[in-house]
Amino acid sequence: MANQMGKRYVCSECEATVLVTKAGDGELSCHGAAMEIAQAKPLPSSD
Amino acid sequence: MNIAMILEMAADALGDRVAFGTRAEGLSYEELRTAARAVADRVEGTGAERLALMEPNGPIVPATLFGAAWAGVSYAPLNYRLPEASLEQLVARIEPAIVAAPNWVDIKDGSDRAFPDSPERPAVLLFTSGTSAEPKVAVLEHDQLLAYVFNTLEFASAGDDEAAIVVVPPFHVAGVAAVLSNTYVGRRIVPVPGVRFSAEDWLITARDEGITHAMLVPTMLGKIVEAMEADASLRVPTLRALSYGGSRMPAPILERALHLFPEVDFVNAYGLTETSSTVAILGPDDHRLALYSDEPLFKARLSSVGQPLPGIEIRIVDEVGASVGPDIPGEIQIRGDQVGGKYVGTDSKTDTDGWLHTGDRGWLDVEGYLFCEGRADDTIIRGGENIAPAEVEDALLQHDAISVAAVVGLDDERYGERIAAMISLRAGVEEIDVDHVREWVRERLGSLKTPELVVVTDEVPQTATGKILRRQVKADLGG
Repeated sequence: MANQMGKRYVCSECEATVLVTKAGDGELSCHGAAMEIAQAKPLPSSD
Repeated sequence: MNIAMILEMAADALGDRVAFGTRAEGLSYEELRTAARAVADRVEGTGAERLALMEPNGPIVPATLFGAAWAGVSYAPLNYRLPEASLEQLVARIEPAIVAAPNWVDIKDGSDRAFPDSPERPAVLLFTSGTSAEPKVAVLEHDQLLAYVFNTLEFASAGDDEAAIVVVPPFHVAGVAAVLSNTYVGRRIVPVPGVRFSAEDWLITARDEGITHAMLVPTMLGKIVEAMEADASLRVPTLRALSYGGSRMPAPILERALHLFPEVDFVNAYGLTETSSTVAILGPDDHRLALYSDEPLFKARLSSVGQPLPGIEIRIVDEVGASVGPDIPGEIQIRGDQVGGKYVGTDSKTDTDGWLHTGDRGWLDVEGYLFCEGRADDTIIRGGENIAPAEVEDALLQHDAISVAAVVGLDDERYGERIAAMISLRAGVEEIDVDHVREWVRERLGSLKTPELVVVTDEVPQTATGKILRRQVKADLGG
């Protein structure tokens, strides 16, 4: 599965977070497992 | 990292979407990246370490902000309203510097230059407004600005119909944050034509450009409320979100605005230059609860600046530096990755544990909502009693005839300080009896907090973003 531009991926083992700044075909992994997309809590716009 | 990454990502993912300007003639994200690279080419080889800007608005603003980042130099927006001699002094404080010109915006430049991944120089230098002292040069690092963007926003989350109208000047931290945030989420930025703020121009531009998001300082919202009340044709049906901040919002203006924009989400944003913009927000649901609830805790929140953003800690500290509990006032201190506090040439306001000593006075309620009373230095001490100017100003602004109010302490032999007020009147009001004004305050706050002196003026001295220039008010009143 390709990684998605602008999404944050988190390792469930060590909580390392990666922000994807260029889309690509690779898969992000950490501690031997695929990293998962972090769901950000939406905030109201302030600027 | 480098804040140029924000534009790089937007140009890669959203290329053709309009980034800045009108729907018909605006620049796309791809064109804005080209313009930023062209600005960086102009800086290259000049030996400059700072790129200054003296323009009020236009595509040169985002092109210079990102262009400086592309070149690895610091972006230094200056107050274009200052006289030339003052501007020259500011430039002298940030040398070696060059000044960007509007004709630098070039969207046909073929350069494909890359930006440095880890620039040595800070991203942004901002002159603080200097309401109570000489302006200082605050330093904002790339990582601090990016912490604010990454912790609070989702990349490309705006729909392609969204547009934000921006009236805060580029030299204010909110003007910097507006460019970074809206570029990251993919929301078109629309500047308002003209150098001086006009409520009619704002309302007409917002309506014609289908504006969905707006940010205002309280004095601007006050003028918009008055214009809408006077002319029912001035409406912005597409508006969804309205945030405000920069100085205290008078409760009567906010309540009138909430009734004029019943469908709009209101957000109060609190932040400082030194904290890379917003650190706390009072959200739309808090506003509705405050407006329609009878519960005193919720009602009071209309004057709160809300709860901390993700990644931000806020505490209240007493005179000896100890953290205090709910409802007890003291100095507001802030910690987090977006917090700076460094200045060029003077000491940092951030301590070794990372807490920024803001100099603002306030308290937290039982659920952690922050209330800000204003600068601790502005507190008036009359006969041993502490009086927050904001409380007296709010009482004055409850009066229908008063549009701006500034309250200061003047030296007094007997009481240490006495209270003085400078007010200006709403459009259409010719004159007011000052004894009636004093009586109005006395009925609400008692005689201790009633100004001894009330002076009516055409224009109360304010900064471009509506902060009262207290030094000047004091001087004008003979203090």
